[in-house]
Amino acid sequence: MSLVNLAHVCSHLQNASKARLGLTSIPVSKLHVNLVLGLQREGFLSSVTLGGVSPPKPFILQSQPDPEELEHMAQKLKDEPWQAFNVGGGEKTELALGREKIDSVSVPQNPARRRLWLGLKYWNNEPVLKNMKLVSKPTRRIWLTSQDLGKITRTRESSYVKGLTHPGECMFLTTDRGILEARECVERQLGGMALCRVW
Amino acid sequence: MSVCRPARCLFAKATASALPKPTPQRSFHSSAPRAARRRRPHYPSIKAEDLKQLSEFAEAEYPKYDTSEFGLLEKQYTPAQIAAIKAAESAIDTRDLVTQASQRTDPWRLPYEDNLAEVDPVTDHPEKLDASHIPGKLSLREANEVERDANIARIASEQLAKMYPDGVPEGQLDPVEQQKLQEAMEAALTQATLDPRSTYTGKNQAAIDTLADPRHSIIAPDLPRLENRMARQTRRLSTEEAEDPRQKRLLQYMGWDKQQLKKIRTKTLVAHGVTNQTRMGKIRSMYYLTIAGNQDGLLGVGEGKSVEPEEGRKQSIMSAIRNMKPVPRYENRTTFGDLERKVGATKVQLFARPPGFGLRAQHLIFELARAAGLQDLAAKTPRSRNKMNVIKATWEALTEQRLPDEIARARGKKLVDVRKVYYGGSVH
Repeated sequence: MSLVNLAHVCSHLQNASKARLGLTSIPVSKLHVNLVLGLQREGFLSSVTLGGVSPPKPFILQSQPDPEELEHMAQKLKDEPWQAFNVGGGEKTELALGREKIDSVSVPQNPARRRLWLGLKYWNNEPVLKNMKLVSKPTRRIWLTSQDLGKITRTRESSYVKGLTHPGECMFLTTDRGILEARECVERQLGGMALCRVW
Repeated sequence: MSVCRPARCLFAKATASALPKPTPQRSFHSSAPRAARRRRPHYPSIKAEDLKQLSEFAEAEYPKYDTSEFGLLEKQYTPAQIAAIKAAESAIDTRDLVTQASQRTDPWRLPYEDNLAEVDPVTDHPEKLDASHIPGKLSLREANEVERDANIARIASEQLAKMYPDGVPEGQLDPVEQQKLQEAMEAALTQATLDPRSTYTGKNQAAIDTLADPRHSIIAPDLPRLENRMARQTRRLSTEEAEDPRQKRLLQYMGWDKQQLKKIRTKTLVAHGVTNQTRMGKIRSMYYLTIAGNQDGLLGVGEGKSVEPEEGRKQSIMSAIRNMKPVPRYENRTTFGDLERKVGATKVQLFARPPGFGLRAQHLIFELARAAGLQDLAAKTPRSRNKMNVIKATWEALTEQRLPDEIARARGKKLVDVRKVYYGGSVH
């Protein structure tokens, strides 16, 4: 688990959002994938796609369902709104609403050529993800307990980690339950190694 | 707690009442809640028959004007005044007068009716008379003992007559009445002894009467003295006041009137000379940087430059007022989280702080925060401290804050302010 690569990802995402890019790619690793999914869960990223050296097709260029199909789906959902929740397994929903269109992405056989493509978000002409910084450094890992995290999420300093004082600031930690946000760790009373803070 | 408890606590059998009771509801606080005040009804509960008695008594005590009385009133007052009297009569419930109003009956009560809630230094001013108002000779002499005793007796009986207009009660009195009469007599005697009319006497009765007249008192406060040098020098008529065309344009631009402009606080924070090198030589002019704020969430920064110093200053003030922008404030006292802004080589860091922290920042940031109406703030300027850039960076940081609602919308999250639930919506 190299934090050097994570540091590169952090500065790359900052640079990409400063340049107002819509889509960018980072190298693939299990740590990156989990962290990036955490970022998407917190709403910093719009999409996360595993792909090759060329970017995946943008959403607008992907094949869309026909208008009649969409109309049928809308009517069906209006009559049976529970279908939206995929009750009774995939086949039943498919039967009721029609087949879901999933754009296939070609992932190279060679793992070294795989990239993780991230969709960046912007709101009011401002990037949603503006700052991303490492907390643990490659030469100094920092482990935090849930008590520490309780203080940090309440904007107080603990274990030489500054509190989350910026508006909307998040911190990600790697725990034995996967990569989680600091507030989630507090809720589940988990400690772990701090990775990065995002705001 | 290191307080000695009485021994009976140790030996006493723990009864059910002595045992700590479980709190009736989930407690949200670590400290014990303060016992709620016993809730009282807004109105005292009165029995129906008591109310009836009260109504009858009130009607007898404070009767309504009848038509003949209104006829008399019409001779004295205009129809508008009569209408006002009628409105006032109907506005006050006579039962309230009986239950709540109290009239002073003690000997030291004021000679006029006033609850002394308000004193206006101009209107609540007694008439003041001087010696020119007294007809006849003004000479007085000290009274001899016989005259003095006679005067005291006369004045005391006058005072007693004021307290007992229906005559002093005679015969056997109950103890309360007796006590009251005793007090009244003592008061009347004291007042008579202190009265200068008992000590001095003369041939001119008008001069003697003025001794007791409060209008002739030397210690009666004078009217507020407005005729001093400062008032004379600063007095200006509205026609004399020069109409500033720049201010007029600003008022038109903002859609304000002059009163609103007076509420804006401005302060010039930077002033220095600058020179423009031309082939004719150096042209010196003055540069000004002014901030403006209404101390309630509006803040502006303006610059002005002119060869004439006053002109440049005015320019900067007007531009500061024109540039005023809203400053979002958390609970109307501090910023939303920590802010950072860089202008040139200057970096300004602003930190939100808890209530009561105060403004602990360098003077420029302090002035800006005060003008914006912030109360709790800390700041750092870790790099260059160029005055102009510090002010601009602080202003930009304060006005371009990202609000939590906006951040939540940008991330597609739902945000709920729980303080509105916990504190019953009594939050800013």
